[in-house]
Order: sequence, then C-alpha cells, then structure tokens
Amino acid sequence: MDKLLRDKKAIFIFIAPAFILFTFILFIPICQSVYYSLCEYDALTKPVFVGLDNYVKLFTKDKTMKIAIKNSMFFMIFSAVSQLIVGLLLAALLTNINKGRNFFKNVYYLPCVLSSAALGLLWMFIFSSQFGINQILALFGIEGPLWLMDVKGFINLPMKVIAFVSLWQYVGQSMMLYMAQISGIDKSLYEASYIDGATKPQAFFHVTLPLIRPMVATAMSLNCIGSLKFFDLIFNMTEAGPNHQTEVLATHLYTQGFKYFKYGYASAIGVVLLILCLIVTFIINKFIKVKSYEM
Amino acid sequence: MKWKKVMATTMAAVMLVANLSACGNSENSAKDTATDKTGTTTDTSSGSSTASSGDVQEITWMFWDDLNATEDLISLGYKDTVERFNKDYEGVYHVTPITTNLEEYYTKLNALVAAGETPDVFIVSPGPNLTTYVDPGVAADLTDYVKADGWLDTFNGGEGAFSQQTYDGKIYAVPLNIAAACVFYNTEMFEAAGISEMPTDWNGMIDACEKLQSAGYTPITISAGTAWCLSMLAGYLCDAEGADLSKIADGSASWLDAPFVNAANKMVELSKYFQPTAAGDTNDVATANFYNEKAAMLIQGSWAIGQINGANPDFESKCGVFAFPGTNGRVIAKSDSLAMSSATKNPEACIAFMKYFTDDTAQKYTAEVGGKIPVTKVEYDESLAPAQLPYVMDVFGKASSTFGFYNESLASTEAGSTFDDAMVSIYLGTPVEEGLQVVEDFYKDNVWK
Amino acid sequence: MKKKKVSIASIIIYIFLGLLVVVYLAPLLWMLLVSFKTNAEVMTSPFGLPEVMRWDNYSFAWTAGYLGKATLNSAIVCVTALALSLLVGSMASFAIARMRWKLSKLVMTYFLIGMMVPVHCVLIPLFKTFSGWGLSNSLTGLILPYITFSLPMTIFIMTGFFENMPVELFEAACIDGCNIYEVFLKIALPLARTGFFVTGLMSFVGNWNELLLAMVFISDDTKKTLPVSLSKFVGPYNTNYTQMFAAIIIAIIPTIIVYCCFSNKIVDGLTAGAVKG
Repeated sequence: MDKLLRDKKAIFIFIAPAFILFTFILFIPICQSVYYSLCEYDALTKPVFVGLDNYVKLFTKDKTMKIAIKNSMFFMIFSAVSQLIVGLLLAALLTNINKGRNFFKNVYYLPCVLSSAALGLLWMFIFSSQFGINQILALFGIEGPLWLMDVKGFINLPMKVIAFVSLWQYVGQSMMLYMAQISGIDKSLYEASYIDGATKPQAFFHVTLPLIRPMVATAMSLNCIGSLKFFDLIFNMTEAGPNHQTEVLATHLYTQGFKYFKYGYASAIGVVLLILCLIVTFIINKFIKVKSYEM
Repeated sequence: MKWKKVMATTMAAVMLVANLSACGNSENSAKDTATDKTGTTTDTSSGSSTASSGDVQEITWMFWDDLNATEDLISLGYKDTVERFNKDYEGVYHVTPITTNLEEYYTKLNALVAAGETPDVFIVSPGPNLTTYVDPGVAADLTDYVKADGWLDTFNGGEGAFSQQTYDGKIYAVPLNIAAACVFYNTEMFEAAGISEMPTDWNGMIDACEKLQSAGYTPITISAGTAWCLSMLAGYLCDAEGADLSKIADGSASWLDAPFVNAANKMVELSKYFQPTAAGDTNDVATANFYNEKAAMLIQGSWAIGQINGANPDFESKCGVFAFPGTNGRVIAKSDSLAMSSATKNPEACIAFMKYFTDDTAQKYTAEVGGKIPVTKVEYDESLAPAQLPYVMDVFGKASSTFGFYNESLASTEAGSTFDDAMVSIYLGTPVEEGLQVVEDFYKDNVWK
Repeated sequence: MKKKKVSIASIIIYIFLGLLVVVYLAPLLWMLLVSFKTNAEVMTSPFGLPEVMRWDNYSFAWTAGYLGKATLNSAIVCVTALALSLLVGSMASFAIARMRWKLSKLVMTYFLIGMMVPVHCVLIPLFKTFSGWGLSNSLTGLILPYITFSLPMTIFIMTGFFENMPVELFEAACIDGCNIYEVFLKIALPLARTGFFVTGLMSFVGNWNELLLAMVFISDDTKKTLPVSLSKFVGPYNTNYTQMFAAIIIAIIPTIIVYCCFSNKIVDGLTAGAVKG
C-alpha cells in the first residue's frame, strides 16, 4: 500500500498535465505581472523599471485604495459569515425535507448559473431611483432611499445592497458544496444518534457539523477569495461609483489598468490582492481546518 | 458499472474534441502564415476567405459598437460605409471590422497593441485619449495623406476641422462627424409655462426653470448616475464663468480659482430644478424622462436625437433645441475620429477606407439619418434630416468657437474622470471647495510636477 | 403528539423555503417580462406587463447576435474545458490528497495561487504570450486558459473529497492487486462523484459566463462566444435592453439544461447514500 502511494512515476503522471498547463498559462503571466508592478507600464510602450514606486504611491497617496480596502474587507467578512450561515441552513433544511428538495435546490442555485453582468443590470433596475423597490415603497407612501447613490456612513448603502445581491446570487454555491458533503455522510451515524435520543437539530450540530468541517474551511476560503476578487456585480450595478465610493480592489485594479492605462500600477494592486488572499486562506486553514480527515 | 459508461463517454468526448481542436490548430497555423505575409488577419465575417489571393490588401478596422446588433444610427451608417468600401474595392482592398462594446474597447485595443497586432484603422476620441496613442507612436502621422489629392479641401474649415487631432502641426486622426452639446426642450411645456424667448443668459435660464416649475413641470432631466452627463453641464458652466483650461494645463491657474468655484455653485443652484431622482438615474433613464415628456429640458449631445426619435417618434415635432445660455456662443463639440496604425502594411487601403467615411454618401447619411453634423461641405436634403438637426446646425453655425468635453480636454483620461467624479460628489452634497480640492490635489500630484 | 410537532416544524420550513423561492424567481421572471417589451416601454413602466408581446425581440436577438453560432462556440469551448479540467484536475488532486510525497503541500499552494489572482491582472501578459503562439483569435486559445483557470478550484475542492475517503477502501483495493492507476480510476473517481458534479458545475458555469478573456482574445464574429454576443446589445450611448434580455434568456437555456443534469446527480448520491463517509 505505502509503496503504491509513493510511486514517483505515478505521481509525476498525475501531476504533470495540471502542472504544465498551470505554469505556462497562469504562473508565468503572474510572474510577468509581478514584474510589471515594479514598472511604469501602459501596455503601449516598453515597461520602465521604477522599483517600489507603485507600492509607495498605492499606500501613501491613493485615497481610492483606502476605500477599496475598506469595502473589500467589509465585503469579504459579510460574504464569509452570511454564506456560511445561510448556506448551511439551506443545506440542512433541504437534506431534511422529503418533498420538493430538487425544486428548491434548483431554484436557489439558479442565479449562480446566470451571468453576473445580466444580473447586475437586473438588480440595477430593481434598486434604481424611480422603479423597482422604490415604486413599491411609493405605493405605501414611503419615499425610498437612493439605494445605489447614498454614500453616507462608514459602510455605505450601495455596498450593503451589493452585498445582499451577491449573497442572493452565490449562496446556492455554498449550499451545493455543503449538500454534496452531507450526502457523503454515512446514514448509520444518524441512526445511531437518533437511537441515543438526539433530535434533528442536535444531530446536525453533533454529527453533521463536525464531519463537514473540512468543507466549511474549503467553502469559506472559496468565498473569501471570491469576494476579494469580486468584480462583475459591482461593475454592472454602480461602476464603482458614485465618486469611487463602492470601489473594491478588483474594480480599482480594472479602472487603473484599463481605463487609465496604468498597467504597472494595476499590477501592484493585483499583487496586494494576491497577498491578501494568501493571508486569508492561511488564517482560515489554521483555525478551521484541523486535521480531521479520518472520518 | 454506470460509472464506467460515463467514463468511457467522457474519454470519447475528450478524444473527439482533442481531435477537433487539433484541426483548429492546424487551420490557425495556416492562417497565421497567411497573416504574416499580409500583416493582417483574415476575413471571416462574410465567410469568403480572400486572404489567399495575394492581390487583395486586407485591413482591419476596430470599432466600439457591434454593427449588426446596434440600434445606434451612426453605427448603422458606419456599417453601410464598410459594405460600400468592400463592394467598390472588391479584389483590391478588403476591410474586416473588429467590434467590441465601448466598455471593453480600450482593453482590447491596448491588448492588441501590446501584442503587436494593432488594428490597421481604429476609432478614437480626440483629446487625451488620442494622445495615448500618438505619444508612443501607435497612431501614424496622416498629414501628407490628408493634404494630398484635395482631401483636406472637402472638409469644412479646412485644417481647422483637424484642430483637435493635430499635434505639433501633424495630423494624427481624421474626424468623421461632429456632435454638439445643446439644450433640448419640450416646446409644448415651454409654451404652457409662458416662455416665448429662449434663455440666453444665466438669469434667463433660472427664470425659465422657475416658470416651468410653477407650471408644474420638472424643468431639467439629467443623469448624475452616469457621471459624464452631469460633467457636461458643469463644463458649460465653467466655460461660461470664463475658466481657461490652457492655464490649468500649464499650472498658471488653480481649480480653486473663482471661475470653477462659481460654476460649481451655479450647478448646485441649478440642481434645484433637476428631477428628484437625478442622483440615481442613468443616462438612458434621464433621456427617457425627456422623450416620455416627464421633464422640459435635457442637456445632451446631438447623438441623443436618434435615440429620442427612435423611442418616441411622436415627440420629434415637439422637440426644440437651443444653445446653452451664457457661454458667449461657445459650444461643446465632440467628434468620432479614425486613427491609422503606424505599423500597417497597407496604408493606401487604410486611407482609401477612411476616405469612404468622409465621402458625400457617408456625410449625407450623417446629417440626414444620423443626426450629427457633417465634417465636409456636403450638400444634404434638410427635409430628410431629423427635425432637430437644423436647430443643432443653427446652434453650431452661430457658435463663436467650440471646445471639447471637459473630461476629454483635461490632462489625461484619469484627470477627466476625477473632474466628473468631483462634480457628482458636489451635486450629492460635498461642499464646493472640498470637491474642487480633490481635482486640485490630483493635478498637484500628477500633472503639475 | 410528537408527530404533530414535527409537521408544524415542517410547515414553517416550507413557508420559509417558499418565500425564498419568490425572492429568487421574481427578478428572473421580470427579466423574462422585459424581453417582450420595447425599449421605450422599459423606461416608462419597467415592471408593468408588456402592451404587446414582442416575439420579434427574440428573432432579432438570434440573428443579429449570431446566437446560434455563438451557442455552438460556447458549447465547444466549455464542454472541452470542462472534460479536460475535471480529468487533469482530479488526477492532480488525487496525487496531492492521497499519494505520499514531500512536495505535495507545496504543489497544492502553488495551484492555489491561481485562484487568488484576478483575471485582469494576467490579461495582457497572457494575451501577448498567446498571440506569440498564434493562439489569439482561435477557440483553442480560449479552451486552454479556461481549463487552467478552472484547475485551481477543481483541485482545491476535489482534494477535499479525496482526503475524506476512508483509507480502508484503498487498502482493500491494494490487497486485490490493483495498481495505482486502477485505484484512481476504479475506486477514487467513482467515490468522488458528488465532488465531480459540484466542481464540474461550478467551472462550467464560470466558463460559460466568462466575458473578458473571450472579448479580448476573439475578434472574428464567427468565433465569438455567448457572453460576447450578449454584450453586442450595449451601444456606446444607449443600451438595447429588451433584445439583450431576450438574448440572455436564450443564452440561459443551455446552462439550465446542463445544470439540471448535474445538480440532480448530487441529490441522487444523497438519497442512494452510495458514498460512505
């Protein structure tokens, strides 16, 4: 057994295709982009090496960067927590009902399969100043707020709206991951706990939760990384406006790189984003993913 | 057992697709060799591959709207032009359009430039945007071509038509049409409010707004959700206050000087007459407010004519136009321009193609259908043109001089956006000085070094 | 007594789930509604019923957007990328999760980096490279990055599935005399089935909706994928909402079909209890 699992040739065959593809198509461009982050580069002329200038500017002068970091952090924490709770809740409920499980699951997952661009446009209408929710509120004589333009407060209203829409769109993904993992749990474990007199909620906390803990870590890392890289919905709902108030790291990167042609500077933002992602993944794995594989 | 079946099918599918993509590969490499020879990519849109016959000069043209799915009348005119060119020069020249939407246009253009696949001809906005391509030598110097064969003489105002496209006396792009920013108004509402004279100065404007408001109309519809719309109004106000952008450019004037502060204050004053949802409305919604007769005035570029008449044909006869008041006859104008790649292997084809955009057929279309102002001295049938065009032409003809969109006349695209954003934030309630300070700081950090 | 209590709980559960269904379906139904209107109608009463059902929005969207060709292109690109990324990805995950070698943690981290980089960041270098290889403006040039961009997530999730499999199964297979490839194909892959369906679904959907790479890499109208075709309806000064929504509805249908096939498999696994934890 052990010998079989230490077969160097087999390991090589298993890893090589992924490794080669990854190296050439992702890793080398990433390295190039790290190099560009040390350059003044507009993609039209040759890059000029300027050392850490971009990073210095990013952290000392760039006011938008501060907003972007604040919003990205809010967004990440909100997504991680809300998706964990709602995703687990839905997965638990759906695995425990008998009728219509497929229907509910399909409906909740549906937005995940649609393009964020289309959904962004859709929600922009729903939260627009004249139509949608405000139209409904007006029926009750309430003047609705400017959902996507009201920039008061530390975390402004548009960011909260976007956070809600992203929860709406992506919670199905977490739900699916948890459901898939729950489906792998041996039924006899539940039977045993019921015999011991456990109620369904108790069984959930004492049997399901510990067993899917690795998946919680996985899903949470995915959520956090996904929300740090989050771009589509924001870009389509507010274009990071008004006045950069809904800017996150990825939109800031896009604006700098592709609207103002500061590709080197944008790469620096990309590197910061990468480092943030690495830190977050490290933290999650440190605190949640305890070695509990042997089930 | 079931699994084996799935696996087998998957493998079969993989093999099949691998084969397919291998075919794709060889086809591509064949194409690439052809590409190397002619320096351009091959045609596919019409399905007929002409690249192999060595005589035809293949060029590409990059544009920011899809030519088939578009509803924009100017884009449809460009489609005609492309078809006419390919038909007339069949066997000699052939152009293939590369289209994206405006959002990804520069991303794609820059990626192509970075990869050494610059399209032979591409559309740009004059101002800092064109500068981006002139400075690194991506856009070719067109002076000699423009001045040859009497091409220049067909343009209205001769070399003056190229003022925004000229750098150090060299012409880098050819304007195709001009759109002027005007005030569109609902004649019925103006009549009902008892306004007979169009406002010509600031007090007249406020007066008209007051009258409209007391008659129960929303005086102005504007979009702050789409920042450049509000910025266009701000640009007019700054100019009316005597702001001089050339002094801003060389650092001898400050953004906190009186003209800008006054202009911003006036914008805040005027904002009392905006529709209540202006802060959140996008450009589409703001324009719709106007043609659906929910507001009396719309400050927009003349490209909106097509959209207005298309969406509500009954409205055409009610829609009047006047020049933005108080600017001493100065008018904001914007043109689409074509630049040529300095790396093109077929400059003759490119120039021949560009000339099709400024020939009589295309320019007539521009005026009669597109609702934009032609750049050449073409004669066109005014009765065919949209009802608003003569008014726009009138405004434009009486203009003492023109100036560019503010966000396209500043030091860089980013400077333009900073100005736009500052105006939006002032409208949303940031104190005027604080808002302008942001632009001032940007200039201190990036422009006046 | 006990039975009654359970049914009250389940009624509450069903009401809750039902309300959520409304939250989920209402916006999508609205999208369907808009696709039958005119652009002027969208602006006057976006949430009202259309005056006339405008089916021609669909025919216009289909022809002007070249949606038939675009759907085919998307299908070729996404199915190929899906099959290859699942195969390549699960091979790598198996080696990382189950095989014993020193560098496995390091290689895992290496793959994870890919998940953390926004596509904008690598766009220009990648395009330059592909253009040098003659892969720009070809479907292969899209398939390769799509496989690669799906890999990190596939590996990340599949590793979790492989790690959670009981050791005894593998040991039993060894005793039966299987070699490592047979262990992978006959034991590990079938057991990781639910994982396959989830990751497959996620990467397929991700690629199906991917716009930026497709927009930049493909110039030919005949090679454009669906998301690029959808963006055709966004003009420089105004958006052609109704026909775009019609096109979106057309574009959604294949995803929903694929999705239903995949997602039900997860529940199949659930009810059959085939995978023992």
